[in-house]
Amino acid sequence: MLLVIDSATEACSVALLDEDRIVAERHEIVGRGHAERLIPMIAELTGGMKPDAIFVDCGPGSFTGIRVGLAAAQGLAIGWSVPVHGYSSLALIAAGNFAQGEADQLTVALHGGHGQLFVETYAREPFRVLEPLQSLFPAEAAAAPAHLVAGSGAETLVAARGHGEAVTAYPRAADARLLPTALRVLPPRPLYGRAPDAKPKM
Amino acid sequence: MSLILGIESSCDETAAALVTADRRILAHRVAGQESAHRPFGGVVPEIAARAHVEILPSLIEEVLAEANIPLGQVDAIAATAGPGLIGGVMVGLMTAKGLSLSANKPLVAVNHLEGHALSPMLTDPDLAFPYLLLLVSGGHCQLLFVEGVGRYRRLATTIDDAAGEAFDKSAKLLGLGFPGGPAVEKTAQEGDSRAVPLPRPLVGTAEPHFSFAGLKSAVLRARESGRYTVPDIAASFQKAVVDCLIDRTKRALMHAAGATALVVAGGVAANQAVRGALQQLAASHDLPFVAPPLWLCTDNAAMIAWAGALRFEAGLVDDLDVAARARWPLDPHAEKARGAGVKA
Ligand SMILES: Nc1ncnc2c1ncn2[C@@H]1O[C@H](COP(=O)(O)OP(=O)(O)O)[C@@H](O)[C@H]1O
Repeated sequence: MLLVIDSATEACSVALLDEDRIVAERHEIVGRGHAERLIPMIAELTGGMKPDAIFVDCGPGSFTGIRVGLAAAQGLAIGWSVPVHGYSSLALIAAGNFAQGEADQLTVALHGGHGQLFVETYAREPFRVLEPLQSLFPAEAAAAPAHLVAGSGAETLVAARGHGEAVTAYPRAADARLLPTALRVLPPRPLYGRAPDAKPKM
Repeated sequence: MSLILGIESSCDETAAALVTADRRILAHRVAGQESAHRPFGGVVPEIAARAHVEILPSLIEEVLAEANIPLGQVDAIAATAGPGLIGGVMVGLMTAKGLSLSANKPLVAVNHLEGHALSPMLTDPDLAFPYLLLLVSGGHCQLLFVEGVGRYRRLATTIDDAAGEAFDKSAKLLGLGFPGGPAVEKTAQEGDSRAVPLPRPLVGTAEPHFSFAGLKSAVLRARESGRYTVPDIAASFQKAVVDCLIDRTKRALMHAAGATALVVAGGVAANQAVRGALQQLAASHDLPFVAPPLWLCTDNAAMIAWAGALRFEAGLVDDLDVAARARWPLDPHAEKARGAGVKA
């Protein structure tokens, strides 16, 4: 049994998977307040049962949200003595959206900081990154190649570009079953996608 | 005897500790982040939070391994839930919630200030409630009447900077680097504390509070005047801070009837001039003076585990939806000090 934890974006999402089967899930768009909701949601889901491994969204997304999920996962992993693995929020959204349609390519756009978008483009078959992660202003992101754009920033990107189809989507923990194995065994460390704002004073 | 795992991550120290309710410190680790923040001349919250989430899990495992205690033998998990830098507080609290759920042990959400306030009892079994506590750190400058676990009366706080902040800012103005407290103390040894006339804000006033912002501005003017050496300014500044602390503490002692001791905690308690003057003040009031060992004065997890132990034994545990709090006054009934812009 696998526990999936996703709090990197506006969604607070958890799932229990048995191989490729969804045993149970909770998916809420909370915006804020992940730190209060997350562990009670996991408690409800697991009901005292111990999973064999934990998968956690490492970002990109909100800096705080990424850490809330990772810290919870690390604490759970110590107590249960089980491994923690990471995956990317953008890969998860790509996998989830490929499963719902026919598109061969997909650009994922998530709201980042300072009016920028985290943008990455994926191919369906075999599932892989076509254009690597960048943090861009919407005007710059307009160069994204795929017709279909998914994510919290999809409408922003499509509006800036003037064409294409936007699907507003947030990472859904249960979609981790759709990720190729290699993409859900990343080291459990944050993928912030952007440096901290502070500038050295020297 | 209850055994508590404590976690601290509210500023720029990541820490974990195992402490028993009968005052045994089975293991404790503190990982500082000074070098990560030094280029910025102060603690950068996002950088601190990033470091906490990297370091904390291995620190917890090290502490358990060092004490050779499986998590299953721990009775409760205590973590700082505020006040402090919220990103860092969340890392510690979320890790603690994860441990609490998976190990099926109660969670104790500890107020960081309560950790400081109760820390003197961890190393001094003779210290009894109530006592007067001067808490002087980088983020706080308060006088607390400590009546019992969860029972604190705030007698005074700073209306602007904390004392440690004044040391840090003055050190910066004097080109002494970060963190400033130890640098100012060292430089002050070569200076004359009477050389530079500096103000003692609020000293002798009827209101109970502290103020250090004016002192810092005076340090800047003294520096810019070109008339004084850096050691003389450092020594005079340190003397002014000591005078402020003593005057305000003396005033608070009049409102702390029944106090069994005068206690100091927080990073500034590392300062020998501050300690010496407080010791004298206590002696002149026929009170014992209690200063925890220096490592327990600065941020650490042993004090969080200890406060957690006392709360746990009093039946004060928390639910898994408890929130991290950037601000969290220890004494909710304390009147707002004018302009208080401080964390608590
Ligand atoms: N020898 C000293 N003299 C004066 N101040 C000191 C000394 N050593 C440390 N400090 C001050 O103590 C503060 C750090 O203490 P700590 O309890 O960790 O505070 P916080 O966590 O609130 O920043 C810093 O402001 C530092 O300059």
